[in-house]
Amino acid sequence: MQFYRICGLSAASSIELPGLEPTAPVAAPDVVIRQDETPRRLPSPSAEWPTWQVQDDQLLLDVPGIVRFHLIGGREIVFEPAAPAVMADVPIFITHTAFGIALQQRGAIALHASAVAVGGKAVMFLGPSGAGKSTLAAALAQRGHAVIADDLCVLSRDGAGAPSLHGDGAQLQLWAQAIDRLGLAGAQGPPVRPALQKHHMATPLAAAGPWPLAAIYALREARPPHRPGIERPNVVDAAVLVRRSAYRSLLARAPNQKGLYFMAATGAANTPGVFEFTREHDFARIPAGLDALAAHWAQLRVLEPAT
Amino acid sequence: MSGLFWLASYPKSGNTWFRMLVNNLSAADGPADINEPPESGGGIASMRAPFDFTLLIESGLLTGDEIDALRPRVHELMARGGDAEETDGPPPPFRLLKVHDAYGPAPNGEPLLAGARGAAGAIVIVRDPRDVAPSLANHHSSSISEAIDFMGDPGRAYCAQPHRQPHQLRQKLGRWSDHVAGWIDQKDVPVCLIRYEDMVADTAGELARALGFAGRPASEAEIARAVAQADFAELQRQERATGFAEAPRDLGEGALFFRRGEVGAWRDELTAAEVSRIEAAHGPMMRRLGYELAGAASLAPTG
Repeated sequence: MQFYRICGLSAASSIELPGLEPTAPVAAPDVVIRQDETPRRLPSPSAEWPTWQVQDDQLLLDVPGIVRFHLIGGREIVFEPAAPAVMADVPIFITHTAFGIALQQRGAIALHASAVAVGGKAVMFLGPSGAGKSTLAAALAQRGHAVIADDLCVLSRDGAGAPSLHGDGAQLQLWAQAIDRLGLAGAQGPPVRPALQKHHMATPLAAAGPWPLAAIYALREARPPHRPGIERPNVVDAAVLVRRSAYRSLLARAPNQKGLYFMAATGAANTPGVFEFTREHDFARIPAGLDALAAHWAQLRVLEPAT
Repeated sequence: MSGLFWLASYPKSGNTWFRMLVNNLSAADGPADINEPPESGGGIASMRAPFDFTLLIESGLLTGDEIDALRPRVHELMARGGDAEETDGPPPPFRLLKVHDAYGPAPNGEPLLAGARGAAGAIVIVRDPRDVAPSLANHHSSSISEAIDFMGDPGRAYCAQPHRQPHQLRQKLGRWSDHVAGWIDQKDVPVCLIRYEDMVADTAGELARALGFAGRPASEAEIARAVAQADFAELQRQERATGFAEAPRDLGEGALFFRRGEVGAWRDELTAAEVSRIEAAHGPMMRRLGYELAGAASLAPTG
């Protein structure tokens, strides 16, 4: 077994998970990831969708032609590759699909987000796939901010009730175009799947969390009528932004999850605050976006103003 | 029965204008904002969000063919409103879903868009390819000659770049003629065929006919309002004032998505050679749609 720390949990995996930093073995890991046969279906599912079904604390997910997952109570991730030939395609779906769902099974507030360290705290970037979470984190890493998460964050409260964050601790994943345009060819690692031009990056990773949370940004592309800038939506809209960023938001609307996310979303909207960060999807405009963030952090007193 | 209808067309054939007309049917307080989501739910069939949301799998981690294999499942769900992120309130009784994908099979042979399980029917808009070409060139920031190549190449697709994650799922387009044929000859769902030129000539009549087909009858007042408020000049005015969210990101400075919208503008925009190339490539389908070929006349000996 190989051991990892993901979003504050210890995980033991029967296969190597590229992009994650191995840790020392632990006797009783929180999550066990192992290869085995998976059932074709659950005996009496309460929800059945084309690629997945749920019954109580179990979820079956089929990524056709690649891997089937049997997720049990957020404690076990059983995977069954569709064929030996696709084994190299499997790990990314463990770290970037199954683990987030397992966290939701455990009742964690799992959000689709990247995060970087700023002045000893974490700032989080919410957004759907393709919103530019990893590219933004990579550009911030180039300005010296350590990477806390690439794709998955867990939001919680520390003992004093202050918001805190656990990141996936995964190296950033970037598409070939972003690697080229950011000048990061030297940090390019192996592709996340042999058929994709998306790569693990050798990014400096931050220490394991939890991290006190300084701000949450929902990423939005500057398309008419939205202009570049950082705005604070009202609490209701902010809560919706957070709730829709649940790692798999369809699962987050199950009765036992809905209240959880609502509470977390409303709380986060108050402290530390949710902001809409609107910027152009143009590599040439990235520095302007980073400058806007730095100015905002100075305003929020997360960072000293630049001198 | 599903209230979802496809609004299918090759790019730059009037799809957006039609949606703007629909958006204005009930816009009693003046022209609907071109950047506001429409009453009919809207969206495009190739959106990533419904795929990722319903299947729990990120389309960004799949290849184009793997995505195509799953798209029929997503379209079945969309027809039932299964892609709605909020479950409060009933699904809209009428939904128009823009489609640029060619009508064709998924890798396993079933219809990519799930056929009759994906929609109740298709409003198919076609436009004279000689007018499509200059509009497409503007849209692609390319030359007209390149646009003509694009329209004649069976391998062309949108959002198929392998080096980045395009904002939508891959849409195979194929040749212009094949794209039109695929939609109007498929037998899975009923078709309401609209020629852009007829929409320009009789906007109210064509709009009413299409809405009747889609089971969303509109009053004469609604139709009149839509025609007045989604007038091409108004759409251009709004685009100049605020920009248009659906315009290509790299549209040149000063270029407009709502460019000319005229019928027969090709006569002053295309060279005789360009006209000949389009007619040579697409003549049979042009004749079938009632677009008179210039080639024979212009090539006829004079005197």
